[in-house]
Amino acid sequence: MTYAWKAAGLTYNRYLAVAARVVRRSLKEEPRLAAERRGQMDLRFAKWTNGKMGEPQNVADANAKAYAEKASS
Amino acid sequence: MNSLRVARAALRARPAAFRVPVQRRGYAEAVSDKIKLSLSLPHQAIYKSSDVVQVNLAAESGEMGVLAQHVPSIEQLKPGIVEVIEESGTTKQFFLAGGFAVVQPNSVLSINAVEGYPIEDFSSEAIKAQIAEAQKVASGNGSEQDIAEAKIELEVLESLQVYVK
Repeated sequence: MTYAWKAAGLTYNRYLAVAARVVRRSLKEEPRLAAERRGQMDLRFAKWTNGKMGEPQNVADANAKAYAEKASS
Repeated sequence: MNSLRVARAALRARPAAFRVPVQRRGYAEAVSDKIKLSLSLPHQAIYKSSDVVQVNLAAESGEMGVLAQHVPSIEQLKPGIVEVIEESGTTKQFFLAGGFAVVQPNSVLSINAVEGYPIEDFSSEAIKAQIAEAQKVASGNGSEQDIAEAKIELEVLESLQVYVK
């Protein structure tokens, strides 16, 4: 059995992150405000070649690009 | 003299009479009928190896109930409800956003999930608003990934809607 999200190139990790995000957003006001901070992620990385740092990239954006490349259709 | 002998006889007779019920120790008494449940999230442990009677899970392979002495297995969880029947008989329901349940030998059950809340903490208005939004994205003309994510959201919201009134 292949999942639809897998066919679209998403990883299991991304699937869980999306499911967790929607669960947090469905909470009542008070617990939601406390929980939503957990969903925030701002990571950057840069690839080093020949001792020089490449362009710094956002991990979320780079991942989104990788999912699109991996999509089977 | 005579009364002393009677007292000594009684003293000897008593321990034998007390020993009788202790001699039989059946299998049923030796094995606990409780499960040690650990329900943990990255930021919180809801149950920490607590004794519970039964746990009902929504696994990818189907709904399952776990009692003591369950066969060891690993199950991927669907975004769905986990029902915990505690020792006192009260049932608690949690909605988990997906994860894994590991049934270990000797009645140990570990559930790991990314996000989980008691069912009372959800708001039906927030769910309804999000369903409308996700449906719009799922049937719109966004990228394949956006549509796939909207469909994941719909799957979660629709199973949530059943439990939150």
